[in-house]
Amino acid sequence: MGAAVAGVDIGSIFTKVVIIDAESYDIISFSIMRSGASHENASRSATKDALRAAGMSLEDLAYVVSTGYGRSRVPFADRQITEITCHARAAKFLFPDAHTIIDIGGQDSKVIRIDAAGRVTNFVMNDRCAAGTGRFLEVMAEALEVDLGKMTELSLRATKNIEVSSVCAVFAESEVISLIASGHEKADIAAAIFRAIARRITGMVGQLGVQERVVMTGGVAKNEGVVRALEERLNVKITVPEEPQIAGALGAALLAAESLK
Amino acid sequence: MIRGLEPFLKAVENPYKTVSEWKERTGKKVIGCYPMWLPKELVHAAGLLPVVVWRSDEPVTIGHAYVHTFNCGLTRSFVDDAVRGKLDFIDGFIIYRTCLQAQELPFILEQHVRPAYLEYLYLPAIFPGAATKDFLIEELERFKASLEEFTGKEITDGELRRSIELYNENRRMLRRFYEFRRKNLGVLRAREVMAVVWSSMLVPKEEHNTWLRELLLELEERQEELLKEPRVKGDLKVVLTGALCQTPQFEILDMIEDLGMVVVDDDLYVGSKYFANDVELDGNKRPLEALAEHYLKREPTCPTKGDWEMDWTDEIAGMVKRGGADGVISLLIKFCPPHLCYYPDIKRGLMEAGVPEVMIEVEHEIVSLEGVRTRLQSFAESLRRGA
Amino acid sequence: MVEKKEYKLNRLETTKLIGPMVDKHWAELREAKEHGEKVAWCSGPLFIFPYAMGMKCHFMAGYAAYCAGRKAGDQVLEAAEADGELMDTCSYHRLHTGMAAAILRGRPVRKEVILPIPDLLITGRLCTEMAHYAEALYRRLKIPVVAVDIPPPRRKEDLPRLERFVVRQIKESLIPALEKVCGKEFDEEEMRRILRVLKKATTLRNQCWEFFKLKPTPWTLWDYGVSIAPVFYMMGKPETVPYYEKLLAELKERAAKKIPAILPDGEKYRLYWDAWLPWAFLGMFIRKFVSYGAVPICGRYPWEFFPHPEYIDPDADDIVKNWVELYYTKGHQAMVMMTEGALEQIMELVEEYSIDGLVMFASKTCRAWVGQREIVNEIERRLGVPGVIIEADMVDSRMVSEAQIETRLQALFETIDARRRR
Repeated sequence: MGAAVAGVDIGSIFTKVVIIDAESYDIISFSIMRSGASHENASRSATKDALRAAGMSLEDLAYVVSTGYGRSRVPFADRQITEITCHARAAKFLFPDAHTIIDIGGQDSKVIRIDAAGRVTNFVMNDRCAAGTGRFLEVMAEALEVDLGKMTELSLRATKNIEVSSVCAVFAESEVISLIASGHEKADIAAAIFRAIARRITGMVGQLGVQERVVMTGGVAKNEGVVRALEERLNVKITVPEEPQIAGALGAALLAAESLK
Repeated sequence: MIRGLEPFLKAVENPYKTVSEWKERTGKKVIGCYPMWLPKELVHAAGLLPVVVWRSDEPVTIGHAYVHTFNCGLTRSFVDDAVRGKLDFIDGFIIYRTCLQAQELPFILEQHVRPAYLEYLYLPAIFPGAATKDFLIEELERFKASLEEFTGKEITDGELRRSIELYNENRRMLRRFYEFRRKNLGVLRAREVMAVVWSSMLVPKEEHNTWLRELLLELEERQEELLKEPRVKGDLKVVLTGALCQTPQFEILDMIEDLGMVVVDDDLYVGSKYFANDVELDGNKRPLEALAEHYLKREPTCPTKGDWEMDWTDEIAGMVKRGGADGVISLLIKFCPPHLCYYPDIKRGLMEAGVPEVMIEVEHEIVSLEGVRTRLQSFAESLRRGA
Repeated sequence: MVEKKEYKLNRLETTKLIGPMVDKHWAELREAKEHGEKVAWCSGPLFIFPYAMGMKCHFMAGYAAYCAGRKAGDQVLEAAEADGELMDTCSYHRLHTGMAAAILRGRPVRKEVILPIPDLLITGRLCTEMAHYAEALYRRLKIPVVAVDIPPPRRKEDLPRLERFVVRQIKESLIPALEKVCGKEFDEEEMRRILRVLKKATTLRNQCWEFFKLKPTPWTLWDYGVSIAPVFYMMGKPETVPYYEKLLAELKERAAKKIPAILPDGEKYRLYWDAWLPWAFLGMFIRKFVSYGAVPICGRYPWEFFPHPEYIDPDADDIVKNWVELYYTKGHQAMVMMTEGALEQIMELVEEYSIDGLVMFASKTCRAWVGQREIVNEIERRLGVPGVIIEADMVDSRMVSEAQIETRLQALFETIDARRRR
């Protein structure tokens, strides 16, 4: 085994750490933990967790790159790089023909375009409100009193097309509540919520144009309902990696390996 | 430290203070001119002190009772200042139909500020045709008469000519200043450059010209020495575009430089747009007509002027080429329709021309500087990986 | 606590005729190119000029209303955003750039709302956005543009010179451009014919307006709102006069039989509605109003359409001047686009139609209806009539929150109730 490097992605809801072999780029271990209130503590805990799984200690890491919302609060990071660059790197690594990356995280969403060489050519971010993010989904699931993991299943039973606002999570929440109160089926509401997220993202994709292959990263990609709603809207196949949530940390780790050279 | 920059930086620290001080010092009445293209030379020739209305230093509170929250930062902060009495020291205001939001202002001023002088000009869109030019000249003549009524004094052609020449001199020197920046990257910080232009909108032109002369002299004399120790160190060159009517926060300019990007040029209003063209006084032309022709100029492009054939994208790309820039940062003032409506074509055009670009939304009350940092940092990272 | 009596909306019969009439108008526009006709797209009130030349002409706000009526608004808006338009821009602007995107890039949009690419883009810059829409379409479709600046007047003393300016622009820019596109001289006779029909229709319409003064009212602002097309962008069409004759007859009948618009026995609250009508949400709003016993009665926008037919003079020597006079020195129509003129007009309407409260409809992408907050402040101060701002949009459903609207309306009615108790 060659030198090991790590990527630490501190998101608003979750902190992800990925340790890879700096030569082969194989993933040695990874960890996903809730961020909580202290980014510094979260980075330490999640890193400790990943190191433990790898049977390593902090000194074994030759280089650490931090990314994500809390990237400037990782005291043991050698460098901090934005999540845009990191997600792009990871997507390119996993799918060499990736050209468009949709990343829906806890409190922001982004669409990134990369060229054939994997360089970021353009990106659009929505980080000013929760509409179309993981937080939005969480709030909606709560309003529906449904387990977040079960929402896709629920939405497949939809029979009626109803609309939910996609501009503001606060608006949407009160809408969902009044839809339930007026007797609408939860299945229809769940499907409408996915469509609302898709609408929001489509607007962002539109600003850059779609080029296949389209890869989706970030925690929300685990939610099939959102992926399907997006595929329908964009009329394009979307590829989701096995562990979409660690894409940012993986990208950071890859960039850490590159920084070593 | 560049000594010559001091008066400019001091002037923009507190525009309210600066303008009231100059009001006292000159004994002249101050007239707040709403941006961007009304001919302030006429106001100057009337013996008044024209200043360009600026964005306030505080978040809007009471102002929202009089104007929508979805108006641009400048209009909202102007109204907020007005109704809170922060503009009482300004003797008069001139507004014109620069956009829909400007149209609301005369009523609000009349209701809540009751200035001694309030003028609303019908400066037209620069549609082709004799009707436009004739109407514009008629309107400028009426404007001149209203100024004369206010001051009780006639504005002679000679006085107007002198004011125009004074303003032209200011513009010429600002152009030289921008050329210096282009040729000596890293010597001047972006916020310093903006302060130099912005202060021209706040202090008497006579004074500003003196400061400029001294600054340009110092820059020339110390050029070699300043280049050896650039105060802005960066490996990337960028052009700034947008920001109609108002200044973006200086923090954003600092952030751009902190991330290793050096601003080589800009087409901002508080930037190169302000001094782009001289008023051409040649031969027997009436100075008023010269002012009209200046207003009707189609370059530099301005989306408030109505010129559907203008090619803003081309202008930006030209600026990029001239400055050898690596990319463009679009400063989009939130709720500014003239820019918003043009923006998709700029983005598309720059993409097609292979010019990297990032858009930063600028708001009066900045919601998240972190978000701005992430965007700028990602942009810088992508430029470096592309290099 | 607002008591909820069981109110019911009593729709007019005549308004059912509008749907097919409007559909026919837009179908004629859609099919124009196939019939070898020339087509113009127009923003602002200048379409009478291409009509006089026998061109088919679209009208910016009318298209928005039509799109909304066909339930295609959101679809076209999405096509706009998929093409890069920012959500903060005017929804009418996005409808048109969306339509262009649908044409240029084949984005899926309902066929009925796709118009043929015009031979000419006409800008009537009464609202500055009207210029931006033409600029954007010019950049993408590269069609010739002709533009007329129509500055809203701030004071009555500004009217004569603004009028002269607009008349000159029409004569020197617009008419020559039309003559070039159509290859013939400007048909003044046709313009006079159109004005004759318009005069008849608007005279009848004014008689219908009188019925809004009745308490209870036999019809609602929404009934009139859907009837605007015959006195505006459908002007000159023969069917416009019989439409208003029928409408007048129905109103006379209702008045005679004391049949109200709000059953069982009329409205509890009479409202002023400011700015555009919420074309895609007419049903939603009227349901909310009616549930409280409220009825929208008048507004500065729907009252902009030739409120003074006595000034329409089809035999005037200078027919272009006569037309522009309606907006400036005689009819003052353009004055409602500035706070000063709007306030005057609204105070008149509030008195004339015994209005209890103001609903200022605001779209966060529209700033054309200047002075909304000041107007609420002033009317409250001067007339003691309360008002509320409702933020939504005319066509974009993402900007509409029913819960927020409900809350604000309820607050308005509670305020009115409280004043009545005093």
